[in-house]
Amino acid sequence: MSIDWITVAAQLVNFLVLVWLLKRFLYRPILDGIDAREREISDRMAEAAQIREAAETAAAEHHAETQRLKAARDGALEQARAEAAAERDEMLSQARARLNREQESRATERAQEARQYTEKLHQKGAAALVSLTRKALNDLSGETLEDRIVARAISRLGAMTDDLKAAVGDSRAAVVTTRTPLPDNLRTQIDTAIADALPGTNVRYATDPDQSPGLSLRLGGAQLGWTVDGYVDGLQEILSDAEQKRRSDAA
Amino acid sequence: MEMTPDEITVFTVGGFTVNATIVFTWIVMAILTLTSILITRNLRPDVPPNRWRTTLEAVVLTIQGQINEISARPDRRVLYFAGTLFLFIFVSNLLAIVPGWHAPTGSLSTTAALALAVLVAVPLFGIASRGIGGYLRSYIEPNIIMLPFNIIGEFSRGVSLAIRLYGNVMSGAVIAAILLGVAPFFFPVIMDALGLLTGVIQAYIFAILATVYISSATEVAETEPKAAVTKDQT
Repeated sequence: MSIDWITVAAQLVNFLVLVWLLKRFLYRPILDGIDAREREISDRMAEAAQIREAAETAAAEHHAETQRLKAARDGALEQARAEAAAERDEMLSQARARLNREQESRATERAQEARQYTEKLHQKGAAALVSLTRKALNDLSGETLEDRIVARAISRLGAMTDDLKAAVGDSRAAVVTTRTPLPDNLRTQIDTAIADALPGTNVRYATDPDQSPGLSLRLGGAQLGWTVDGYVDGLQEILSDAEQKRRSDAA
Repeated sequence: MEMTPDEITVFTVGGFTVNATIVFTWIVMAILTLTSILITRNLRPDVPPNRWRTTLEAVVLTIQGQINEISARPDRRVLYFAGTLFLFIFVSNLLAIVPGWHAPTGSLSTTAALALAVLVAVPLFGIASRGIGGYLRSYIEPNIIMLPFNIIGEFSRGVSLAIRLYGNVMSGAVIAAILLGVAPFFFPVIMDALGLLTGVIQAYIFAILATVYISSATEVAETEPKAAVTKDQT
């Protein structure tokens, strides 16, 4: 066991050379490569972090936008609901008003129809009454009725003397027309009555089968009549006046 | 039988005898350097590492990891130094299985040179870290009475490093040679396997001890400012 100091020196130099060689060709390239790779990984991580941050920001913005759109949609829906409700209420109101108007119109129409129907009914009733009365009077007219009509005419002539004088003027011809020939007693009573009212008047008697039962007297230009038709016409006028008065009261 | 490859003369140049220790050292250096050049010649960040580069990175990172565990302040220069120590001793001992190989570490001259390198490197790293005054002050700590003991301890560490490595490697070679004479077909295989294990362990121990010595010389620099701060605070 001995030490060769020349060899020691040579080995020392060899070792130092080996340190330099390995530093040059092993450690530095390997460590620099690892450092470069770590830097690259770090850069990529930083880039990934930036991308992640950007993605998170974008996600946050998207979420906010979604929330905003949702809020806007909810608002629009609420507004649409309110508008729909208002429109529905408006339409219901209009429908109710239209319905009320139609109901009122229908009621008016019904009232009008009822009134017209009533009027027609009254008219038809009055016409039927007049017709029935006329028919009844015509059917029932006879000697007694004519006597009563003549008596009535004689009594009226006395009350109408002044009016007759004014209407007749200078004429002194009188024509008494009946449907059937008058009996003599009735003719006598008529002659007497006319002579009392209009002295000097010549009375002539005539018959007309188409005339209504009763008596018709023509004095000059004046025409007096006491016939069934005349009474029925008077009844019809009364009914017409009553109907006119009821219409004016209804209006 | 030669006890050391120093005694084997390979050739002589200008009166200077080149022995087997130096030649095999050159071979180890060539193997390490050429392997490194071949693997790292096409090393670019954009090129994905192949398995050889990955292996080399694993080796370097393992060495650096060991240094980082020991040293409070990892330094690349420590890696260059201690890592080269480990790789040189490791490859030298590993090639012992090659017939006719004479491990340079089986020479006391080589181990002495390596120990001398550590002996010189420790104060250099310490001075580089703490400054010359701070490093020399460590020899008189805790008081000046410890100066000779610290100097003796410093040298004895180098001697123990050299003797330990040389003894282990040389003894393995000697025992293998003796057993080869006794039972040439069986024991040499076992002894070679054992020699591989011993060689790896010795390479690890030598490099680790060198790292510990360097770290102990540089770590003081880390504690001094803290002590000063503590003193100011009190």
